Amino acid sequence: MGTLLKRHRWIAPVALLSPGVLWLLVFYLYPAVQMLQSSFWSGSLETGFTFSFDNYTNYTKALASYAPMYGRSIMYAGAATVLTFLIAYPLAYTIAFRGGRFKNVLLFLVVAPFFTSFLLRTISWTILLSDDSPILRVIHMLPGVSPEFRLLATPIAVISGITYAFLPFMTLPVYVAVEKIDFRLVEAARDLYAGPWRPGGAIVGFVVGGGLATVLGVAFEWDFLITGIVGGIVGAGVGWFFISESFVRVTFPLSVPGVFAGSLLTFIPAIGDYINAELLGNPDTTMIGNVIQNKFLTQNDYPAASALSFMLMAGVLVVVAIYARILGTEELSASAGRI
Amino acid sequence: MATAKTAAPRGEARGASARPRGGARGVLGRIADRYLLIVYTLLAVIYLLLPVFVIILFSFNNPPGRSNFLWSGFTLKYWLNPFGVSGLPEAVALSLEIAFLSTLISTILGTLVAIALERYRFRGRAPINALIFLPMATPEIIMGASLLTLFVAIGAAPFFPLNFVTILIAHVMFNISYVVVTVRARLAGFPRHLEEAAADLYANEWETFRRVTFPLILPGVVAGALLAFSLSIDDFVITNFSAGKTQTFPMFIYAKAKIGIPVQVNVIGTIIFLVAVGAVFVTTLASRRSNKR
Amino acid sequence: MTRNDDTTANLISRRHVLAGGALAGVAAFLAACGGTKPLATPALTTAPPTSAPTTGPSASTAATATATASAVPAATPSAELNWANWTYYMDVDPKDANKHPTLDKFTAKYGTKVNYSEVINDNEEFFGTIQPALQGGADTGWDIITMTDWMAAKLIRLGWVEQLNVANMPNFTANLLDTYKGVNWDPTGDHHAPWQSGMTGLGFDPAKTGQIDSLQALFTADPRWTGKVDMLSEMRDAIGLTMLKLGIDTANPTRDGCDKAVAELMKAKNAKIVRAFKGNAYAEDLKAGNVVLTMAWSGDMVQVLTDKPGIKFVIAKEGGMLWTDNNLIPKGAVHKGTAEMLIDFYYQPAIAAEVEAYVNYLCPCKGAAEVLKATNPDVAKNPLIFPPADILARLHIFGGLSEADETYFNQQFATVTGKG
Repeated sequence: MGTLLKRHRWIAPVALLSPGVLWLLVFYLYPAVQMLQSSFWSGSLETGFTFSFDNYTNYTKALASYAPMYGRSIMYAGAATVLTFLIAYPLAYTIAFRGGRFKNVLLFLVVAPFFTSFLLRTISWTILLSDDSPILRVIHMLPGVSPEFRLLATPIAVISGITYAFLPFMTLPVYVAVEKIDFRLVEAARDLYAGPWRPGGAIVGFVVGGGLATVLGVAFEWDFLITGIVGGIVGAGVGWFFISESFVRVTFPLSVPGVFAGSLLTFIPAIGDYINAELLGNPDTTMIGNVIQNKFLTQNDYPAASALSFMLMAGVLVVVAIYARILGTEELSASAGRI
Repeated sequence: MATAKTAAPRGEARGASARPRGGARGVLGRIADRYLLIVYTLLAVIYLLLPVFVIILFSFNNPPGRSNFLWSGFTLKYWLNPFGVSGLPEAVALSLEIAFLSTLISTILGTLVAIALERYRFRGRAPINALIFLPMATPEIIMGASLLTLFVAIGAAPFFPLNFVTILIAHVMFNISYVVVTVRARLAGFPRHLEEAAADLYANEWETFRRVTFPLILPGVVAGALLAFSLSIDDFVITNFSAGKTQTFPMFIYAKAKIGIPVQVNVIGTIIFLVAVGAVFVTTLASRRSNKR
Repeated sequence: MTRNDDTTANLISRRHVLAGGALAGVAAFLAACGGTKPLATPALTTAPPTSAPTTGPSASTAATATATASAVPAATPSAELNWANWTYYMDVDPKDANKHPTLDKFTAKYGTKVNYSEVINDNEEFFGTIQPALQGGADTGWDIITMTDWMAAKLIRLGWVEQLNVANMPNFTANLLDTYKGVNWDPTGDHHAPWQSGMTGLGFDPAKTGQIDSLQALFTADPRWTGKVDMLSEMRDAIGLTMLKLGIDTANPTRDGCDKAVAELMKAKNAKIVRAFKGNAYAEDLKAGNVVLTMAWSGDMVQVLTDKPGIKFVIAKEGGMLWTDNNLIPKGAVHKGTAEMLIDFYYQPAIAAEVEAYVNYLCPCKGAAEVLKATNPDVAKNPLIFPPADILARLHIFGGLSEADETYFNQQFATVTGKG
């Protein structure tokens, strides 16, 4: 058998790929192609739909009318991805390196909340964060917080909702990648570069903190320059003191495949999400997913819904391609193969 | 492999005493390393579990009406009768069956695809990569509706009903991608010399896979399965399209949410959470005991 | 105000005229046969279905009801029946939540096992799941589906609903309340059978807002409720109430009226009066105190009041919306005949009353109120379930729309909710 496989090198990958890929071809790609076709339809349910390539205007119209929702989707999904990273990375790191025997228990503890219903979790959050809740009362006691301040039905609520919903999609891949790092490497690195990573840490901190604060500023129609700068300074402070050189030179590079996978698993579904904006947002926080939902279900405008979806998917593919170039696993695994 | 797995905690134990040697590190850095990370992680865990606490708390609520939203007194009656709502037991059973089966199938298929994509160079990897990412990027409503159109077109109603099988097909379909991406995160950057050495030793691809590759990627496979399970047991939109006359647990909850989700749903949610965590906890304790022996 | 009164008057007179036109013949026919018995006794619950005319024009199916004086009907009801309904829309045995007493009675009488599923949580979502089958001319798998009037109108417009054999449904023809007759989207009245109705009005917390009796409040900035107002995401309710506020006729909605209502809603949204457009989740906002004033559905408010007795629900002086969920038989349904039996079964006042005591919406069946006065006076007295005449007079329906108009209304409304 071994020799057979060696002689015909294509057998192994084809055998490994075919069941999964066939499943996707039949139950994903075939319906998706039909949907692509429907994006060139015109007509209505009552009159029937007709296909023509002249209906490419479905695309141009969609782009012209719904650019703000696309923008918001990118912004919210991007902010949520950064936030999940900031929460999940230390979590995964601690579980992997300090979890000891109870690693698996801890891992289940952070994933099991997602075995319960999304709706129940969201209702729980709305109970916790309602306008008269203890948490909000404490926030209102802080100096400089306007009495109108609320969390629900705001962009913060939508971004937090997405962040929470997609946390396991970041935590698990990062954990998987961190867990395989040989801790002796990290120790050796600490002996070599024992110390904080300056000024790199400050710069990274500034970019991340500033970026998040700017998104919030734009979303809340505050002066986003000021919020951005404040956020950047706070981020820089954290980065200056707390990012160590051994982490930057050893741990992080080794965990990049996990971060790459985690951020894709978070960003890609998040950008098409509609339910968080529906339940936690207001009319000014709708995302492209809400428009697609409305076009499809309410207006039965199947062509427009398909066209909007395809533009979203094309955009995502482009982002993935670029991202893979920058942080890709392709080169990584190739170079690893050479070690 | 064995070293990679066990070295971490042991190395960590030594690391704790060795670290102060690196004198040049700032005091803050050391504090960060020792306590801040733990505190931060603890906060993250609390944040993750906060809604679960609320769900558990409200499973003991005794609301006067049909909606379980305001706290109005403690009762055990829903815990004593967790299936006392019409349609609930069937829905929970169906969801669990589908979640387990779709996780199993999609984990196997996804892991194989991940291995092929990471371990072999061949033409056509780019389109397959795209095929993996696209389902994640497709808005659920479009995916669900186009899949339903396919089911109807191949004669769903007269030849086979929309039910268990169609839901399962849909769930495996959207789960595969998540498994592939997660397992690849584990495979990427893994030194291949282990496998090559093993290949020399065992000289058999299957033996190499069983003894070397699979243990190496196991945490990735488990993680992928966990993601698949959490997606499957909680999916509403796509399931709604492919369910026909059957009703899954999330469909049951969404339908009830119109007026009020019965307290029993909180009880079931709590049980699922506790069983998942408890089972792993018990297994961990048990494996520790057997290790000692 | 005056204009509103006119609208109401027009609406009601129009209904009466249509009802007369469409159903007078059938009603007279039935009356002649003495089809229905006196209604108000609970004993009817266990009585056999009222006997139908023995010499109906459609002999084969009419025969079904002929021999019903004996316990087992002559025609063959199918072994099973599949019914898709909304949640909490069927009475439940207080001792065993898995039992629906009225359905059990139907099974006992006809031997049909009813696969009753409360799977519908949204008209549009459910439409999405049956649309491919209906478009392909296939059976949806359902024999009865319960859809809100505008969705029923759409399904009927698309030709996807079976015509009811009303000659075979004596209780339905006799006991459907006149208010429900003669809708413009089913002029012959034989494609839908109302199941439950509800009112759309205002819900508010008087402790925070003071008394409110005008729709004007939804559109007026006031420190007591600015930013604490929810509106319904259901287009016909949000636009409908806004039209009523503007004094526009909702029974014959026009694009011009839509434009005016959308402009008014937009103003309220831009003035930050509105917090969000919600489905049923407004009830949670109201209970949690996130909003103090909201557009609200009567059936939900029965529940909200149990949880938070201080809340009030009113039909404003400008009026409120009346909507109905209807039983339809989708095209190609396998068990059409049995479905008609079941729909008719629920038009016995005693059975309808039993459902109503649990469901808490408005009942379309004549005589149910009288039954409930004896069996469950609390429900019979509840103005949210059996509204007094002066409130009923202020209720308006949202008329049927052509497909093009429906698209237009939905598109315009989506610009307000941020989805278009």
